[in-house]
Amino acid sequence: MGSSAKYEAAQSQVALVPTVDRVLSAVLRHNATLLLVLVFCAVAVVGVFVIRDLQTANAEAESIYAVSVQGLRQIGELQFDAQETRRATLYALTTNDSNLQLEYADQSRDADRRVTDGIAQYMHQAKLPAEVLLAGRLTHDWANYLSIRDEVLASILEGSTKEAVSLDLSGGVPSFERVRQDLNEVKRSYDDQASQRLASVVGTSRRSAVRLIGILGFTFLLSSTAVWAIQRSRMLSAIQLAKLQMEFVASVSHELRTPLTVLSSAADNIADGLVEGKADLKKYGTVLQNQSRQMSGLVDQILLFASTEDRKRRYVLQPLEVTQIVDALETSTHALTQGAGFAVERQIEPGLPQVMGDLSALTQCLQNLVGNAVKYGSPGRWIGLRAFRGHAEHGAGEEVRISVSDKGIGMDRSEIPHIFEPFYRSPRVNAMQIHGTGLGLSLATRIAETLGGRLSVVSELSVGSTFTLHLPVVERERLEMSGVGSQPNSSKQT
Amino acid sequence: MGRLASLLILVGLAALLFAAPGHEVASSGPPGPEQTLPTQPLAIVVNRSNSVDDLSSIELRRVFLGERSHWPNGRRITLVMREPGEPERKTILRDVCQMNESELKTHFLHGLFTGEILVSPKILATSVGVRKFVFNVPGAIGYLRLSDVDNTVKIVRVDEYLPEDKGYKLHVEVRPGN
Repeated sequence: MGSSAKYEAAQSQVALVPTVDRVLSAVLRHNATLLLVLVFCAVAVVGVFVIRDLQTANAEAESIYAVSVQGLRQIGELQFDAQETRRATLYALTTNDSNLQLEYADQSRDADRRVTDGIAQYMHQAKLPAEVLLAGRLTHDWANYLSIRDEVLASILEGSTKEAVSLDLSGGVPSFERVRQDLNEVKRSYDDQASQRLASVVGTSRRSAVRLIGILGFTFLLSSTAVWAIQRSRMLSAIQLAKLQMEFVASVSHELRTPLTVLSSAADNIADGLVEGKADLKKYGTVLQNQSRQMSGLVDQILLFASTEDRKRRYVLQPLEVTQIVDALETSTHALTQGAGFAVERQIEPGLPQVMGDLSALTQCLQNLVGNAVKYGSPGRWIGLRAFRGHAEHGAGEEVRISVSDKGIGMDRSEIPHIFEPFYRSPRVNAMQIHGTGLGLSLATRIAETLGGRLSVVSELSVGSTFTLHLPVVERERLEMSGVGSQPNSSKQT
Repeated sequence: MGRLASLLILVGLAALLFAAPGHEVASSGPPGPEQTLPTQPLAIVVNRSNSVDDLSSIELRRVFLGERSHWPNGRRITLVMREPGEPERKTILRDVCQMNESELKTHFLHGLFTGEILVSPKILATSVGVRKFVFNVPGAIGYLRLSDVDNTVKIVRVDEYLPEDKGYKLHVEVRPGN
């Protein structure tokens, strides 16, 4: 595999890892939102079930009314009209006036017509075999009664009251009793149907209630869990932050104590007259100079981090040549890399466009990356500085990438999401007694983002790491409007 | 003087002759001071279940006088009459019973008393009542103007004539309002 293929593979990893990181970060950051969405989905699903149950109950209720209640009402009317048929017939017995008897006969026939129609309607509606059988029996019994009723009426109109009464007692009463029983049976059948449907409605309502109680309980439980999770998350974050800050304080103290001890010892030796000769004095002066610079650098970094804490630090943006940035970086880190015995390999793609940035801030950002490469790149003692052209994320045009690579201890994939967090120190490097504040990468990220860029990393354990600074290129129109490169009047503040 | 008296008697007899019942002439024209009243057939009706289709004048008279009590199928005959004074009743009394009201009343009182007649006629106030009665009672027989007849009852031929036939004997006056 050639170096370009390796580079492409590394670049795809560079692209993939931040994506996964962002997803994981979003999941962690928006866990409350996710819980709410989950609750909403659950409520919506159960709500759909409840609405369906209510619709079913409604349909059942309508069905009860349409079939059973209407049926019962019709049967009630049939019972009344059947009684009316009989009542009018018997009333005809109470008079000898043929005209009045005929009126009663008419009333009886009107009522029997309504009953006959009602029975025919019931027969038409009957669907179950038992209903059809019952309807047939009712029709037959009613016809029997009517034939006897006609005979009774005829006897009454003829004036044969005794014969009419005798006919009614022998035939009319039993046949009417059969009709009455049939009608009662029909009524019972409607009652049974209504009871069954009512039981179904009750079942559906109960199911809806259980579901509602269930979803309320579920929502309450989930909400409680969410609140608990959020509180716990905040508490853990606070504990973690406190722990990191404690570690930071310890680390800074340690970082300050070491040069202070050296300074103190050197000062004691000079004060005690133990340093003799110009050469020793020069040696001590160099030591004092290095240690005070180290302390000064540390303090500067802490102050810089503090100043970027609110992300409102103002930078002077201006078009910069990439070589200008890399040169400044090399100059500022020369002593460090040389002192640590690192070989620096510089590779800049020709014809790179200008980038918009603050030189001092960019140098600081890249300096932190080089400082880390020196700190964690000991096995290889090699640092690669590379500048090249690339495509910005989401198709936002071109960008310039400046990468700092090392062949050091590398990182585990699980550590990568945390390395840009302030005060984060890998347990592995702590165990290896590699000192640091945990602010370098966080600071570099803040600077990169403030300048409109970003930082990405690809790393492999025991192989090495590559940190890349992505910077937006200066738009051609702006360049033309501002004139030549890095003129002071072309700058802007951010 | 004697001739004048004879002439007056003749005129009076003639007037009585024209005014006497039973000499109405069927006519479909409007009544006028010089014309007899128009008439329409009076149908003899029985229950539709009755198998009798034809009755002779003699049989009809016996039925309406209560002298025949049962139909051939064994059903008791129930006689239906309109109230006294109704034109239909007058027609029956005159053309079938050949009696006046008091003679008919006496006939039935005597028959019921002696047991020769079982049931006195049923008296109904309207033609609708007659029709309904005949409809309700299988053994009933009554009379209706032809215009009052519907399919709930059955018309019986009299001497083989239907009411629409030319030789049909029973007719009732049509008075304004009837």
